[in-house]
Amino acid sequence: MSIALQTVALTADPEVILAYGELTDDMNPIHVDPVYAATTPMGGCIAHGTMSIGLLWQSLFRTFGEVAPQRVDLDVRFIKPVRVGETIHAGGELREGETDCYTVWVRGDDGADRMTGTLRLLHEEVLA
Amino acid sequence: MKPLILWEDFQPGASLGEITQAFVPPLATAWRDIFGHDSAGGQAEGAGIAVAMMMRGYLGVVTPRPPGNVQARQRFTLNAVPQQGEAIRTVVTCVSKEIKRERRYLDLEVRGTGAAGRAVYSGTLTIIWAA
Repeated sequence: MSIALQTVALTADPEVILAYGELTDDMNPIHVDPVYAATTPMGGCIAHGTMSIGLLWQSLFRTFGEVAPQRVDLDVRFIKPVRVGETIHAGGELREGETDCYTVWVRGDDGADRMTGTLRLLHEEVLA
Repeated sequence: MKPLILWEDFQPGASLGEITQAFVPPLATAWRDIFGHDSAGGQAEGAGIAVAMMMRGYLGVVTPRPPGNVQARQRFTLNAVPQQGEAIRTVVTCVSKEIKRERRYLDLEVRGTGAAGRAVYSGTLTIIWAA
């Protein structure tokens, strides 16, 4: 098992956020309407939380190639919003004493966590 | 027009409904436009489409929503990646609700099954409901 997941990056441009909104059919104005978003506690538009999960999948499967686990369990918290224009980085590290459980994260260029949690890969022999 | 679904309307334990949506090719195209074409048709794309379909399912069932909802936590199990053309049936259930630090929290369970009832995904969305 890899000790660390390959780090990947994505810039949350307005076009990317809009495209993700179309993908998920989520046009919540907090993501796509700057005038509305400015009136909320967020103070401006933020990216969809699950966009960070999408980037994490890129990290996971670039690390392991196309050898798919039988099941993936993910549990993440959205710690801090991803702002429009931010570049975010996804990655993770194998947890100490574990063979299939990773601490995973999405961070901004400032190094601060935007999303953190755990990801467990379950293979056929475990599920059998 | 249906009234907005407010936090007070949710009943823990109650099913909120279901919707069946197909994994159509434009979803894969949209995914590649965002995350690149390097992994086209691969596991990352399949996993990402599964999450996207979960969100589409939730948003299709729980509507209309007040603007400004924010997701706080996501638990997600991927059992299988959806196949192009596969119809995914998504069922949404309210698990719990509570007020914390003057915010309205909801836990909604979302389960997706595909062809012949195969399990595709399940998860719990923790959402701060805006109204």
